[in-house]
Amino acid sequence: MLTRLIVCFAYFLRTSSHYKNTKRFFYNLLDNPDSRIKSNFDIVMICLVLFSVILLIYEVDTQLTRFEKLFEQAIVFLFIIEYLLRVWLYNDAHEVVLEHYEKAKYLNSPFRLGEVARLIFAKKIEYVFTPLAVIDLLAILPSYRPVSMLRVLLIFRLFKLLRYFTRLKLFAEVLNSKRFELYNLAILLGFLIFIGSSGIYFFEHPTNAGQVSNLFDAAYWAIVTVSSVGYGDIAPQTTGGRLVAMALILTGLGVLSFFISIVVSAFSEKMQDLRENRTYAELKGYPSFVIICGFGRVGRHIAMQLEKHQQHFVIIDSKEVNASKARRLGYLVIHADASKNEVLINAGIKNKASVVLCTTGDDVINVYITLTSRHLNPAIRIISRANNQENVKKLYQAGADNVIQPFEIAAMVVAEYIGQPVAFEAILGIIREEKQFIMEALCVYPGSVIDGMKISDVDFECRKLMLIGVISANPVHRKHKNSYKLKNEHFYFNPDPCFVLRAGDLLVVLGREIGIDYFRDQIEKSQVKEGRKQ
Amino acid sequence: MKRIAVFGYSIMSLEVMSRLNEDEYSLVFIGKDESEADLVAEKGFEVKIIDFRNDDELKSIGIGADVDIIFCFYPTDSDNVFLTISARAIDKSLTIVAIVDDPESAEKLLAAGANKIIDPYEICGRKTYDMLAKPDITNILDATVFGRHDLHIAQIEIGKGSCLENTGTSELRLNEKHNLILIGVVDSDSGEALHFAIGEKEYTLNAGDVLIVLGPSREIRSFKEEVEAV
Repeated sequence: MLTRLIVCFAYFLRTSSHYKNTKRFFYNLLDNPDSRIKSNFDIVMICLVLFSVILLIYEVDTQLTRFEKLFEQAIVFLFIIEYLLRVWLYNDAHEVVLEHYEKAKYLNSPFRLGEVARLIFAKKIEYVFTPLAVIDLLAILPSYRPVSMLRVLLIFRLFKLLRYFTRLKLFAEVLNSKRFELYNLAILLGFLIFIGSSGIYFFEHPTNAGQVSNLFDAAYWAIVTVSSVGYGDIAPQTTGGRLVAMALILTGLGVLSFFISIVVSAFSEKMQDLRENRTYAELKGYPSFVIICGFGRVGRHIAMQLEKHQQHFVIIDSKEVNASKARRLGYLVIHADASKNEVLINAGIKNKASVVLCTTGDDVINVYITLTSRHLNPAIRIISRANNQENVKKLYQAGADNVIQPFEIAAMVVAEYIGQPVAFEAILGIIREEKQFIMEALCVYPGSVIDGMKISDVDFECRKLMLIGVISANPVHRKHKNSYKLKNEHFYFNPDPCFVLRAGDLLVVLGREIGIDYFRDQIEKSQVKEGRKQ
Repeated sequence: MKRIAVFGYSIMSLEVMSRLNEDEYSLVFIGKDESEADLVAEKGFEVKIIDFRNDDELKSIGIGADVDIIFCFYPTDSDNVFLTISARAIDKSLTIVAIVDDPESAEKLLAAGANKIIDPYEICGRKTYDMLAKPDITNILDATVFGRHDLHIAQIEIGKGSCLENTGTSELRLNEKHNLILIGVVDSDSGEALHFAIGEKEYTLNAGDVLIVLGPSREIRSFKEEVEAV
């Protein structure tokens, strides 16, 4: 009966969306490194840990008030809840039940609830013995009054900070990566201390029993000497003792420098990861950004433009020279090969990246990055550089939305400059917003005031705007003259006054930024009003 | 017809030569050796082989005489600087357009006497940004004004005694009369300043002003004829 009840309950949990959502919420709160709510929770927990430790220190020579005690209890209560939630999140107990139940049913063997309970318990115990869980437990247990002798362990709460500070965690990781060297060092150090303390005890105890009265004093002296601290409270008096001290000081220096070199080399090896972690963390904070693959001459100019216009971007380059150049300029850099799926995914191609720019000097690499990016995110915009005319088609085939050819564009600039220098400079100035007037494309939103309106009724002159043309994919407009075919749509240059605007059309207007923004606002607001009426 | 001499074999020189209209410009490619000259001659362009370091040979191809514009498209900046200095010394009024490889060389080229410096990488970078920031506008201009469609920007100078002299810009109504859009007017008195045709104070056209218009080439031609008619 109990077994059936438990199995039914396990099935209920498997299908319950409420349960799943609750568990996902707590996962995001406590464990998901990418969730924003976790970083907020971490900050709160850091504050609580610090408060509780301050209370502990305060309690050493002062009696806590009732309110302070209550506050301390509330913090401990929160720690207990957090601990239990982490135990719960570690694995899905109901899945273990169902897995065994279904296996037993399939094999027609009896379903043993005791065995399943043992497995679930073992799994939870496995979590309890993980280092961070032990720290969590040690931060809670000493608060229990009957075991008040353990109160000194409350200092373990400070170790809880390890859980919330990613950088502290990284320090632990660095030490962990060098554990083999550190073990060896610890053995050597242990050996030295043993020899030193035995030696000093052997030489000093018979004549200088006042200072080295037992082995503990000898070990204390050996540690103080080997670490080159040397308090001087215990000093060898005999020649033998002094010889031991000299040997210990010299070997101590070696051990100390060995330890420092291990830590420094571990950090320098981890430096790359540290930098990249900082890059990823910053990218996560941006609403959207551009990925520039290749920081050559073209990439550098693009970065300059993006920086000038305060847009976020990240540079991926596998060449150390280019990566360090970008770093020196203060840009976010990932020093890796952009054609690798993992690199682009980590950079955020599937999340907040809006555009990928392939700007390396090698067309083969550009095609490969384009293909990789398109495969990873079919909706992302890709602009690619082609150094050779023959490769333009290949880049489009690989999935580029636009292909840029440096020499073709430069040639176009030269040709236009020779023919119409003044006009060309004027139009470039307008595009680059260097003049007072800018050219913008405004969308005719469905239901907005200009949807279905004739061009003559919009009265651009009164709005101090000039209509250059209309971009539209709507076949209704085909009858109009002056149409120029673009990719999937047409550009209607200088449309007739009777041209009727349709939803989805884009008006290409020239005017002051303030005038264009005002008109855009009017269009957008009228659409909202229309939406509300409906 | 303007005569242009193109120095240096590169993708860029071939691209520019193919873009320039043969009816408006007479092009000559100046090669360093036979192999370069043959490659360009195959495409139907006039070619000459000279040593650009020799002033007499530069004069022999028409610099200081009938050549109006030279393109210095050598891959190394030092060659372009040397050519610019030599050509400027021969002809003070020559238009010199040079490409630059290292951005630091731009100033040296200007000091040597070049009129326009082209940095292909910088242009490409800016262009990519334009595409990112204003994809619609850049696409239209690429496909029409700079592309294969018959929509161009043009500058039309108001000659002395032209029918448009002393006319206000609002009276022109080019979009209704000529299917052209008047972007603005470059005032001959204030140099490069561009007066936009909208929302600004009424501007009265004087002789020497330049109108900047956008439209199909046939309309531009007919309007030009009208302006030039005295």
